[in-house]
Amino acid sequence: MERPTHDQVSSLEHLLIPMADDEWMIGHRGSEWLALAPDLEEDLALSSTSQDEMGHAKLLYELLEELGQPSADERIFSRDASHWHHAALTTRPRQGWAEWSVRRYFYEVFDQIRRSALSHVPYPPLVAALRKMDREEVYHVAHQRSVMAAMAYGGSESFGYLNEAVADVWPLLPDLFEWTGPDEHWVVWDAGVLAPSAMRGQFEATVRQDFHKWGLSWPGDIGPARREARHHDNSAELEALLTEMRSVRTIAPASAW
Amino acid sequence: MSEAAETRFMERIEAGELIEATDWMPEEYRKLLIKQIHMHGISEIMGAYPEREWVTKAPTIERKLALNAKIQDEIGHGQILMRLAEDLSRPYNRGREILMSDVIEGRVKFHNVFHMAAPTWADAGVVSFLVDGGAIVTQTSLLTSSYAPYGRMLKRIVAEESFHMQYGEAIILALASGTEEQREMLQGAIDRWWPTMMFFFGPREMGKGSQRMMYYRIRSQTNEELRQKFINRYIPRIKTLGLKVPDPAAKQDPDTGVWSYTDPDWEWYSNVVYNNVGPKSQERIALRRQAHNDLRWFREARMRAVEVDASVGA
Amino acid sequence: MSADIKDVPVYEIFTQAEALSFATHVGSVRASSAKDALEMAREAYFRRDAAFDIWVVPQDQILHARNFPETLPPVREDKGYRLTSGYDNSLMWKKMKALHPSESENMTAQ
Repeated sequence: MERPTHDQVSSLEHLLIPMADDEWMIGHRGSEWLALAPDLEEDLALSSTSQDEMGHAKLLYELLEELGQPSADERIFSRDASHWHHAALTTRPRQGWAEWSVRRYFYEVFDQIRRSALSHVPYPPLVAALRKMDREEVYHVAHQRSVMAAMAYGGSESFGYLNEAVADVWPLLPDLFEWTGPDEHWVVWDAGVLAPSAMRGQFEATVRQDFHKWGLSWPGDIGPARREARHHDNSAELEALLTEMRSVRTIAPASAW
Repeated sequence: MSEAAETRFMERIEAGELIEATDWMPEEYRKLLIKQIHMHGISEIMGAYPEREWVTKAPTIERKLALNAKIQDEIGHGQILMRLAEDLSRPYNRGREILMSDVIEGRVKFHNVFHMAAPTWADAGVVSFLVDGGAIVTQTSLLTSSYAPYGRMLKRIVAEESFHMQYGEAIILALASGTEEQREMLQGAIDRWWPTMMFFFGPREMGKGSQRMMYYRIRSQTNEELRQKFINRYIPRIKTLGLKVPDPAAKQDPDTGVWSYTDPDWEWYSNVVYNNVGPKSQERIALRRQAHNDLRWFREARMRAVEVDASVGA
Repeated sequence: MSADIKDVPVYEIFTQAEALSFATHVGSVRASSAKDALEMAREAYFRRDAAFDIWVVPQDQILHARNFPETLPPVREDKGYRLTSGYDNSLMWKKMKALHPSESENMTAQ
């Protein structure tokens, strides 16, 4: 493929930033679980997942860097809060294990659908990056399903926690399916699978099947996305997260660390 | 067991033979091994806590990924060592659940270093530089342990620790060649961790347990030999970094090569280790309680689930 | 011969060459019990090589990651940050030595 056109570069940014930001944030929050998982073996599995996600974010930011955009470190450490476009689900502060496990499960199922949709974008560096990610991500989805199954089949106490967590996380879902930028900018790629409604449909079908298997009842329609989905202007929660994340680097912003 | 068996066992030890988990062993040998390996494993796990405080604040993407990987390795070492301790503890009917509870209930000690605060990013780096450096010194000396499973697993652990040390050095080197603020932060951390590291290797005169471990060749070097090796390796490095040596009494005898050093406050540190009263002891034990006690329901659920779902564990 | 005559079970054989080496798979034998398998393994696989230890494991007790591909570790291509080879501190040490020459004479090469 030739060098992407101006419209295509702009669309790539609107497609890749939400995904990269999701991956970074879920990895960042995941890293807060270090040494806090239910057992040592689970701790090891969880940490690899967080490292993978942050590694994928880096890979995606670097794809944009190759197109003349800011570097991955600049994105993470200098970008204004109003230019972060992760879904709300990825940044919620650490709560309980069931809540985190359910959040991760939804994220992994969605992320698989999104990767497969993005693979229709005929930009070879992106296709190669997605293939690389897939090799790690198949484990993430499979392992999250095992964790969900453990709670579903593990007796009334764990099933209760699972139900509570599903109800708690459900309202966070609508944001996931949205991109940022001008409406339907993805049409420049001629890939209908990128439409939020298409991804939502696939997500619902997959989750319905899993829920049925695990004996979970369907919590009702996934509501509409907020008008300002994936925008976090004036979010105190994001400000706090960014301030903490940047607290060391700001001591000597221009220095090597 | 008879005296003859004991004599035969010591003949094996003295001939340099290695002991396996399933071999007959004197109860004293088994108990010393459990004490050593259990404390080693728990210390690896408690070692995750000072560093995890810095995971969300790591100043570059590479550092953050590496710090995640390093903490993961510490937990991994804990897992490997706990498996060894669990196998040895089988005759006492003490498995993972109880051995992990021991630290929460104050029945097992962990290294003095992990009771201490790590108030700056430089501390996180110095933990890799000095603490992992110290761990490499002691663990390398244990590679020749008479207990084969320990020696085998330590090979793997020491190999991974060398990544930790490289990572720590990279941070230290960056700070040492950085701004005045970065260098001050580094000097402060070195000053804080040095006396802690002097205690790390144990008292000048070894206790009875340590002497029995030498007798059984579970370990082969004295506390003082290990400490000297450490000082000899790190004082020149600290000087090379252009930093102030944290102990004014540190001097090497030109003839014997032996270093003099200021004694750490033995009593204060012993109290910290025996009674979990260090600056961060209780806070970190509370985190362990969160993981182990509060999430027991999940471990139990996972076991029950296997019986229900035939596809789990296939 | 009738096909419904029951076969003798299969045991997979692992060996530790030396006390500090990890067990390695060498092959399998048929044997009616685990103890028998040890007796068979000795002559089936160790006619020339000595061994520190030999393990026998019933074949049907082994689960293969290849049959659950998601559990197989991928090539970790972007994980240089967790390898010693991902760090080269020697240049920085050299710079430091040049900056503080008199103090550095005792620092041994790593």
